[in-house]
Amino acid sequence: MHTVIEAPINAISTNKDASQVVVAGRNVFRVFSIEDDAFVERCNLRVGKNLNLNFSAADVTWNPVEDHLLASAATNGAVVTWNLNKPSRSKQELVFNEHKRTVNRVCFHSTEANLLLSGSQDGFMKLFDLRKKEVNCTFSGQSESVRDVQFCPHHYFQFAAAYENGNLQLWDLRRPDKWEKMFTAHSGPAFTLDWHPDDKNWIASAGRDRSIKIWEISHKPRLLHTVQTIASVARVKWRPSRKYHISSCSLLVDHNVNVWDIRRPYIPFASFEEHRDVVTGIMWKNDPYVFLSGSKDCTVYQHMFKDAVRPADRANPIGIDTNVNGDLGLAFSDKLLVAGKSQTGSSMLPHFFRSKGPDRSEQFTMASSSAVIFESVDKSTGLEWFIECATRYQLSGKSVEDLCDHNAAVAGSLNKHQVAQTWRILKLLYGGNTATPCPPRTVSVIGSPAVGEAHKAESEKVNLKQQLDGHLVQDHNRSTHTDGENKDTGDTSTAVSEDESDAESSLSLTNIASGQVNQQGDFFFGDGELETFDYPVTMANMDSMQDWTLPTEAIPLRHEIQDRLDSPDPLQNATDSPSSANESEFSSQAFGNAENATPMYNLQAIPFASQNPPWEFSHLVCDMLEYFAEQGDVQTSVSVLIILGNKMKTPVEDQKQEQWFMAYLELLTRFRLWGIANEVIKLSSHRAVASLNQQSTTVHTNCNKCFKPLTRAGWLCDRCKALTSTCSICHLPVKGLFAWCQGCSHGGHLEHLREWLMTHKHCPTGCGHICEYT
Amino acid sequence: MFVARSIPADHKDLIHDVAFDFHGRRMATCSSDQNVKVWDLGEDGHWTCTANWKTHSGSVWKVTWAHPEFGQVIATCSFDRTAAVWEELVGESTEHGQKNWVKRTSLVDSRTSVTDVQFAPKHLGLQLATCSADGIVRIYEAPDVMNLSQWSLQHEISCKLSCSCISWNPSRVHQPMIAVGSDDANPSGGGKVQIYEYNDNSRKWSKVETITVVTESVKDIQFAPNLGRSYHLLGIASKDVRIISLKPLRRDQSSTQTSGHSKFDLRQVAQFDEHNAQVWRLSWNVTGTVLASSGDDGCVRLWKANYLDNWKCISVLKGDGSNVKLQESSQVQQQQQTLSGGAMNGTSSCLYQNKVYPIVPQGKPPCH
Repeated sequence: MHTVIEAPINAISTNKDASQVVVAGRNVFRVFSIEDDAFVERCNLRVGKNLNLNFSAADVTWNPVEDHLLASAATNGAVVTWNLNKPSRSKQELVFNEHKRTVNRVCFHSTEANLLLSGSQDGFMKLFDLRKKEVNCTFSGQSESVRDVQFCPHHYFQFAAAYENGNLQLWDLRRPDKWEKMFTAHSGPAFTLDWHPDDKNWIASAGRDRSIKIWEISHKPRLLHTVQTIASVARVKWRPSRKYHISSCSLLVDHNVNVWDIRRPYIPFASFEEHRDVVTGIMWKNDPYVFLSGSKDCTVYQHMFKDAVRPADRANPIGIDTNVNGDLGLAFSDKLLVAGKSQTGSSMLPHFFRSKGPDRSEQFTMASSSAVIFESVDKSTGLEWFIECATRYQLSGKSVEDLCDHNAAVAGSLNKHQVAQTWRILKLLYGGNTATPCPPRTVSVIGSPAVGEAHKAESEKVNLKQQLDGHLVQDHNRSTHTDGENKDTGDTSTAVSEDESDAESSLSLTNIASGQVNQQGDFFFGDGELETFDYPVTMANMDSMQDWTLPTEAIPLRHEIQDRLDSPDPLQNATDSPSSANESEFSSQAFGNAENATPMYNLQAIPFASQNPPWEFSHLVCDMLEYFAEQGDVQTSVSVLIILGNKMKTPVEDQKQEQWFMAYLELLTRFRLWGIANEVIKLSSHRAVASLNQQSTTVHTNCNKCFKPLTRAGWLCDRCKALTSTCSICHLPVKGLFAWCQGCSHGGHLEHLREWLMTHKHCPTGCGHICEYT
Repeated sequence: MFVARSIPADHKDLIHDVAFDFHGRRMATCSSDQNVKVWDLGEDGHWTCTANWKTHSGSVWKVTWAHPEFGQVIATCSFDRTAAVWEELVGESTEHGQKNWVKRTSLVDSRTSVTDVQFAPKHLGLQLATCSADGIVRIYEAPDVMNLSQWSLQHEISCKLSCSCISWNPSRVHQPMIAVGSDDANPSGGGKVQIYEYNDNSRKWSKVETITVVTESVKDIQFAPNLGRSYHLLGIASKDVRIISLKPLRRDQSSTQTSGHSKFDLRQVAQFDEHNAQVWRLSWNVTGTVLASSGDDGCVRLWKANYLDNWKCISVLKGDGSNVKLQESSQVQQQQQTLSGGAMNGTSSCLYQNKVYPIVPQGKPPCH
């Protein structure tokens, strides 16, 4: 419910029973009666022939005893009383021109109808006796301007005043010469004060320092509560019959009327957001649920408490964040936890939880949060594997197949089987292409004709391939079973059965894979060397088909093993003895993931399969890299990119590469793996990425004589043609470590200075400083 | 799983936000008690409060860290209608190892409570986006990264709806993009999540999408770290948790020059109502694979996509740190095994086998 008035309102006041309200401003002075659903104008006080400043009001107050008496304070220093019972049109009764400057506040005595107190900018307070029509006495605070005066509702003689210098004074009417108590309440001007309606020792004050302070004044004034608001506080008013609630409005910025619970001073208990400009007056209607407010926006509102906005309800009760390690930082409102507890029926309540009543409208006790860090110790959410992979992956310095092998082993050991598998496949695809000057190459010359023969023979008979596949698998079965060393029998059997079923479906796979045979002349050997866990299959085949190949096969393997003795990879060690390759370690590693291994058998079958046209797989590798990137695993994509380098025939889009690199680098820096990040930058073939570590690598030096930047070498100044940073002792430029005294900033060669200071105390330049060498 | 470590936060009112820094070794908390606390992770794994100071004269809603390249810098926003940028004075610390933070700037343009503040991704320089309850998103920029006290208001975007949260798209290959969530309570008010994009030609931010499926008030919104993805994932906290994927549709180069903004293929990839209550906050892990959500039910739930891109709950945590009790524990446990990638059993690796589809493009995968 509200009414619009033609001019901004400076102050409002209600009569004794709050049935009428007077609204005053520079250009308005009206009395409204408050009906059920509207304000009805009773009387306009701003009438007459010459409307001087006496008809404008900075403050207005209604007599709490006599319902027809009003007083207003004018900006010209006049205190004016109005008598609504006056029969004439003009209700103006008395005008006191006692103050020299603006009167900021007028206040009637709470029980004595004829006593009116005023406080003025001129620093004086005057007590008027309306019967005598004169000033009863004058109080001088001897401070600055008086911003507010209020009679104490509990004590006949007491009143309080707020000053522009932030002081509060308590006065006794009987002692006009000196205040009873004075204390500094605010760091800026104090604009307002209000006596607590029930507790006679409490007084609230507020001011430009944006705080509302609650004081206990029985003995030595004591600060009980501070409410920090967002703007200078213009008025405060206690909420009736609510001990801890106080309403406030601001001088500027904030247009709301806020009701605070002083026990939770951070969030307004209730906010009333109707006004569009600052609120200048608050009057409670002797009822904690209804109040009136007047504002500079020319409106008077009657607010019902149920319409209030509750900022605390909108406040976010939870904070959560995940850090790079996957740890969760969490802050929960204790209230929520209690609620959550009762919901789930959990029993133990930590002692600091207090249960809260359900009555939301009036319950507003302290809220608090508990903070918890959930440290991730789990693989599914943690990122240990990322760090491990980043630090252990090898990205350069070896042949592609070595790197792939190593990385596969790393990924495998971290249970990233898919990634491990990817590395193995990559090795198959690209390994043979690398012209690695490793010993097997010489052997391959021996071996390849035989393979070639086998191929030729097979390519003539297409059906043979399938037979061969079946044969191969059977061979494999035989080898695994006869060796009987496989401990993981369950897995092996699934592997075998998979194998058998695959024998049929492997046609397509062998076709795919066989493409490689044509691309790579000595694929067989490249493969045989490296696919360690496929090895037994190969061996079995070799046994069954061409016995004589076995020795040649064994040789390259030995070499390989020697090559990689430094490798930490258990898989490699498993191949130590080719004849017993199917040992426990092998089975657990390779057959542990039977399905992983399965395609390898199929791929393994390639060399014996038919010859097909070359298989262009680059784009598939691209797809694969993109797949990993889409899964959020840029690590794999980037590592593969680096290792393959320009071997990929259809390179990944430039922009995409950059995106992956940048993302990976950011992740690495997040984990503070600077060294690895730098290595990645160095190894990157992408121009934009590779140039990253050339940024900010210049050190600019200034000549120590002319203070201009050195242009060429660091030790000769072109401008003053002098050597810079010369040693104070030998007068030659210092090109290595320049040791200098922090006291006098002279120095030179470390050695020279050390020698000098062994025997001398003073600076070698003769500047007189006693240098310290530590 | 997780080990809960309680932090004696000791804020005097609600904590509204928790933020880790880039390296995850510092944490800032902000509270209605108008203070911000900074916590450092010690070598012993304990978090100690190294700074505690009053930042605003109202509730501090959010706190966020700048990229460490710009120094040890945080930004806060508050009910007091301001946002502020704070910098730690390096090398200076008082007794008890307390660090000093100084206010570098106060951004006072908002007329209402500033509800969120976020630094732009590093590649956009030192930019700061704020949003306020009156529905205005403001983008500030510090032209000189060495001078944190000078911020200029670059853009003001009016969102029409009261804004509650904001998120920068972290992708560096796409146009700068911001998602804004509104806590407007009226469901008939239309979509509560708006996507804005910066257009280089017009040098303006313009709305490119409104996510119309979300009509309830939105409390939090988070873009997932992009890494190498070609699409963006946006987590939305409302009455439920949603994950929306935005796939930029390719536009031919010519149209880029002339016509306006990018187009997206919007897809809701997940929606969870397990919280059964208001969801307040979300957080992605660094790889954008796990989403943590928390709500009025007092629980944190972690979500992760499986190989079929089905998002499943992998874990439920109680907010007070009392340990994880899962109602649906068995199911979740199972889920975890399949998702952890570490399972040594046949089924899970079989799933993974399927994933290597680029290598086995034709024919059926072997295990089916």
